Amino acid sequence: MTLAASHKIVITFSIGPQRLAIPATDLREIIDPLPTTRVPGAGDFAPWVVNVRGAVLPLGDLRLPLGINDPNPAERPEDARRFLVLEAVIGGEPTTVAVMADIVHEVATIPSKSIEPLPATSMWPSEFVEGLFKGPEGEFVLIPDLSAIFTAMAQRAAVA
Amino acid sequence: MSDDLIAVFQEELVELLESLERGLVDLQESPEDAGLINQVFRDLHTVKGSGAMFGFTDLAAFIHDFETAFEKVRAGAVPVTPELVRLGLAARDQIPGLVNGDADPDGDRVAILNALRDLTSGGGVAAADIDDEIEAEAVTSNAPATLRFKLSEDALALGARPDILLSELKDLGATQIVADLSDIPALDDLNADQCYVAWQMQLPAGVAEGDVEDVFMFADADWTLTATEVNEVVERDEIDDLLSEAPALDTPAPQQQAPSDKAPAATEPAASIRVPAARLDALMDSVGELVTVEARLTELARHSRDPALLSTAEEVTRLAARLRDATMTMRMVPMRTLVSRFRRLILGLSSDLGKPVEFVVDGEDTELDKTVIEKLADPLVHILRNAIDHGMEDPAARAQTDKDHVGRIELSATHVGGEVHIVVRDDGRGMSADKIRAKAIERGLITSEAQLTAGQVFALVLEPGFSTAETITELSGRGVGMDVVRRTIEGLRGVIEIDSKLGQGTTVTLRLPLTLAIIDGLLIEIADERYTLPMSSVKEIFELPLDKRIASRNGDYLDIRGQFVPFVRLRHLFDCEGEPPTEQNVVVVESGDARMGIVVDRIIGTNQTVIKQVSKLQQGARAISGATILGDGTVSLIVDVAQLLAMSGPLIEPKKEVAA
Amino acid sequence: MTKTVLTVDDSPSIRRMIALTLREAGYNVLEASDGQDGLEKATSSRVDAIITDQNMPRMDGISMIKALRQHPNGRGVPIVVLSTDSADTLKSQAREAGALGWMVKPFTQDKLLAVVKKVLG
Repeated sequence: MTLAASHKIVITFSIGPQRLAIPATDLREIIDPLPTTRVPGAGDFAPWVVNVRGAVLPLGDLRLPLGINDPNPAERPEDARRFLVLEAVIGGEPTTVAVMADIVHEVATIPSKSIEPLPATSMWPSEFVEGLFKGPEGEFVLIPDLSAIFTAMAQRAAVA
Repeated sequence: MSDDLIAVFQEELVELLESLERGLVDLQESPEDAGLINQVFRDLHTVKGSGAMFGFTDLAAFIHDFETAFEKVRAGAVPVTPELVRLGLAARDQIPGLVNGDADPDGDRVAILNALRDLTSGGGVAAADIDDEIEAEAVTSNAPATLRFKLSEDALALGARPDILLSELKDLGATQIVADLSDIPALDDLNADQCYVAWQMQLPAGVAEGDVEDVFMFADADWTLTATEVNEVVERDEIDDLLSEAPALDTPAPQQQAPSDKAPAATEPAASIRVPAARLDALMDSVGELVTVEARLTELARHSRDPALLSTAEEVTRLAARLRDATMTMRMVPMRTLVSRFRRLILGLSSDLGKPVEFVVDGEDTELDKTVIEKLADPLVHILRNAIDHGMEDPAARAQTDKDHVGRIELSATHVGGEVHIVVRDDGRGMSADKIRAKAIERGLITSEAQLTAGQVFALVLEPGFSTAETITELSGRGVGMDVVRRTIEGLRGVIEIDSKLGQGTTVTLRLPLTLAIIDGLLIEIADERYTLPMSSVKEIFELPLDKRIASRNGDYLDIRGQFVPFVRLRHLFDCEGEPPTEQNVVVVESGDARMGIVVDRIIGTNQTVIKQVSKLQQGARAISGATILGDGTVSLIVDVAQLLAMSGPLIEPKKEVAA
Repeated sequence: MTKTVLTVDDSPSIRRMIALTLREAGYNVLEASDGQDGLEKATSSRVDAIITDQNMPRMDGISMIKALRQHPNGRGVPIVVLSTDSADTLKSQAREAGALGWMVKPFTQDKLLAVVKKVLG
């Protein structure tokens, strides 16, 4: 219990050049990429569905909500790509979604103290980021606010 | 009540009176201080509450009016004026006399209350009544009754105790107590704070509904009490009561058509067994998985071209289909389970609203999937309520027409192909298409140029933005909540249609699929993507004539045996890239009265389709009703034919289409 | 085991009346004079049921119930709201906040005992 208060266990992964972290408690599993099915008109946040062991899950792309630009997508090795299956709360309801990652790094325990709020002048959308911390190589690791992102997706989808 | 306690109360009262006085005086200085207003209100409230507790009923009654006046001040409806403070202080000064039981020979108290009422009028101060608790009239059933109850989801977290409830019910004489465990989910989904068990039991004759209500006073539960043997008997009695109460001809009581046959009696000799619903759901899930595996096996067999494997796969397909049908049949529940609720509703509304109504039910034996039945109850209640509340004329208005003075509401349920049609028809005032149209334009739902069929106009009342508080009298409230009804029906993959004739009545038709879990699908392909069309809506399939390959500016129409049928190109609709093949197919689909063609690259075949819901995240995909998993494990989206027809609305009426 | 009932009311006389009645019937009774006080007592000691007034200074009954239901010690404890008003809006407010039921004031000692028995068994 004390560890939970002072530390956070997170999974770190990258999309393009950006390193991200999500709480281990939100992660259900990490799987190899599956064949995707395009959902016409579903919007850019979650444009596909995948079959994860008999359940049809939306497959999300965090690049757009987090404003991640990948100048060299060809450099990302194909065989490192993974899908993260996450449990998120969308509009108050627990929902399972998958998101794409270019590479999954590690499970890390980070001191809660080291997590900082987004600087006012940052280039990231503050409504979708919970905070950030300095990674092992001094780079910024973003903690996305999954509930906020998926809730916004659902709202956009409802409007579309 | 002991004298000790009374002494405590009187001590408290002295303090309260001081606080009240101080509050009122301070209010004169700062009339807008919300804290002071709250304090005065609270003091009054406490005096009233404690006074009543300790037997000072005159005091409590007096304070009640005093408090009501200050409630308006607190709500900001009445300002604090010097006059109000003066009256407040005068009223306060009456309190010691009231406690002592002094008489009020000059009527000062009434005068003060009247003055307060005048000052704060704008909603009358009710005559003194602290006796808010109205004892429900005891309704005693003279037949044994079946009680079913289930605690609400959060009841346990709120401290409700099913063991206490059961012991109290036993005290009432409950027997044959049976726990229904069918809603208990798998361990992973189990929420320890929730009670999933429902109970059913027999209560002896003579137990009043009020007794049962008492048991559930401290437990948030859904419970129903129904006469065990013959439903009609109790209802008949109620009608007779109503009839004897009806004064004369001008307000005849609602009449009711007796059900044509007997309720399904538990005593039926047929060899039937009870199965918890959860087991049926589990069976259905397994059948769903079997169907998916069967699709995979068939595909493998086709590839292998091994005749023995092919014939085995065919055999499995046939068995899976049979098993599916058998399982679906087991889940079927007759409409009757809903109808008795509706009878009560109509009966109640009819007498509440003073609109005599005859309620006629046809097709109570029509069966639907239990999930559909469960979800159907609320929408139907809404539609029936609308029919009597807004559809039926007042007796006076109805007398002006040549219609029977007793209104008629019909509910019918029939099987039509793979669907169930549920129709609610009233013979009330009907709706004016012109007015709805005008209002929809005003609300910005359609443009004034829009060309709509009558059905499309009436469908506008189902739009979320159609109805608001200020509605035109004739339609008043017709649309309230109807968007919710539509959403529920569409969630069941059903369609809702409205037809109405001004002065003659309104008909609402719900068209629902027989089952939610599995459908026969037609698998098609466009641009290497595979989609599924529900076979039940597919009418015919043919090749797209070569001259129609290129989209026409006048809109795309096919001449099918002399009839113009519009068509859409699924590639366009779903933003597919690349060029279509030379040879394409048209699938003609039908939903309601509308018909259209869907152009696809090729037809792959038919399959049994286990329907999976698409997540909320992807609601934007408007013409998709769900997804299914194909034999190779990939996902195929199920095209929502009804929505496709609605989306391509203007195309449906070729005559109106004008070349640009 | 003796059951403990917490009575929360700003009126000392009502509090006393409830306490006396319940103690005579063999219950252990804690008293709190407003919502704040009630919240502190309910979260710091073992309480089997709570009877609370609605309208109180510092923290009203509804707010107390809401806060209590957020607290790990406050789940599952039956809470009965006292009200001089049987208005449905108040009832539904209380229900939404997490009350199990309500009792309309004035009530007799017998009624009080019946309610507590109904709630605690």
